[in-house]
Amino acid sequence: MAENLIFGDREAEFLKELMRQKVDFMIVGLAAAALQGAPVVTQDVDLWFRDLADIGIGRALKKVRGAYVPPMGHNPPMFAGDAVQLFDIVVHMHGLSPFEEEKEHLLKIPLGRFKVPVLKLERIIASKKATGRDKDKLAMKVLKDALAAIREREK
Amino acid sequence: MKLDVEKVKSLCRKRGTSLQALLQEAGVSRNAFYTLARKKSIVPQSIVTLAEQLEVPVSSVLDKGPTPKTRLMALVYEAHRTAAQHQDADPDNIRHTLILLDEKPVERLRRALRRGRKFDLR
Repeated sequence: MAENLIFGDREAEFLKELMRQKVDFMIVGLAAAALQGAPVVTQDVDLWFRDLADIGIGRALKKVRGAYVPPMGHNPPMFAGDAVQLFDIVVHMHGLSPFEEEKEHLLKIPLGRFKVPVLKLERIIASKKATGRDKDKLAMKVLKDALAAIREREK
Repeated sequence: MKLDVEKVKSLCRKRGTSLQALLQEAGVSRNAFYTLARKKSIVPQSIVTLAEQLEVPVSSVLDKGPTPKTRLMALVYEAHRTAAQHQDADPDNIRHTLILLDEKPVERLRRALRRGRKFDLR
C-alpha cells in the first residue's frame, strides 16, 4: 500500500494542507538538501515555521489526525500522529537571518502535483557551518560537492 | 494501441501503491489519464498506417530514447567533466548528486530517509 512508503500520501497531504492554509513555512536541513539532489541521509523532515501560533498549522494537523505537542522543559515542540511523525519542528536556524529574510532564498520544489518551499542549498550550508556539530561537519563536504555539481548542471 | 488501465493498476499493486498515488506522484491528472484510456488508440493513426505499410509493429518506427547504458555513459562523462573543474570535490559525491538530479525530488527525499532510518544517525 502507498501508506507503507517512507514519505507517502499522508505526509504529502500534510504539506499540501499547510500550503492550502497559507502557513508560512519552509523545509530546511538535510531533507531540504536531499530534495535538491544532495546525496545525504536523514531521519526527519525539518520544518521551519514563521509563526508556530499560526492557526493554519492546527487545521493542517487536524486534517491528517495529527496533534501539536508544545515545548516542555528541554523538550522542543513536536508533532504527534502517524502522518506527521517524520516531521520535526525547527524553532531556530543557526547562522541564518530571520525567517522573513530567508524567504528570499526559497526554491519551490514539486512533490507530485504541488510545490513546497525549500531553503536553498547555499543557505543550508551556511547554517550547518554555523552549527558546527560533528555530524554537520561530516555532511558539509557532501553538501559543498553537491552544490558544485548542481551549479555545473545549471550552466 | 490502447492504454491498458488494468495493466497499469496491476503494475501499481506490484509496486505496493495505488493508481491514485501513482498519478499524483507522476503529476498526471485523473482527467488526462482517463481521457487517454478512452481513446481507441493513443498512437496517431498516421503512425499506425506507416507501420502497417512497412509490415512492422508500431514500436519499430518509434524512437524509445536513450538506453540505460547510453544514459549512464553520459552521466559518467558529465561527472568526470565536473570533477575536473572542481578538483577539491570528491568524485563520488559529484556522481551521486548527478544520479539523484535525474530522479524526482520526492524519490531523492525517500532515499535519504530510508537510509537515514536504516542507520540511526541521531
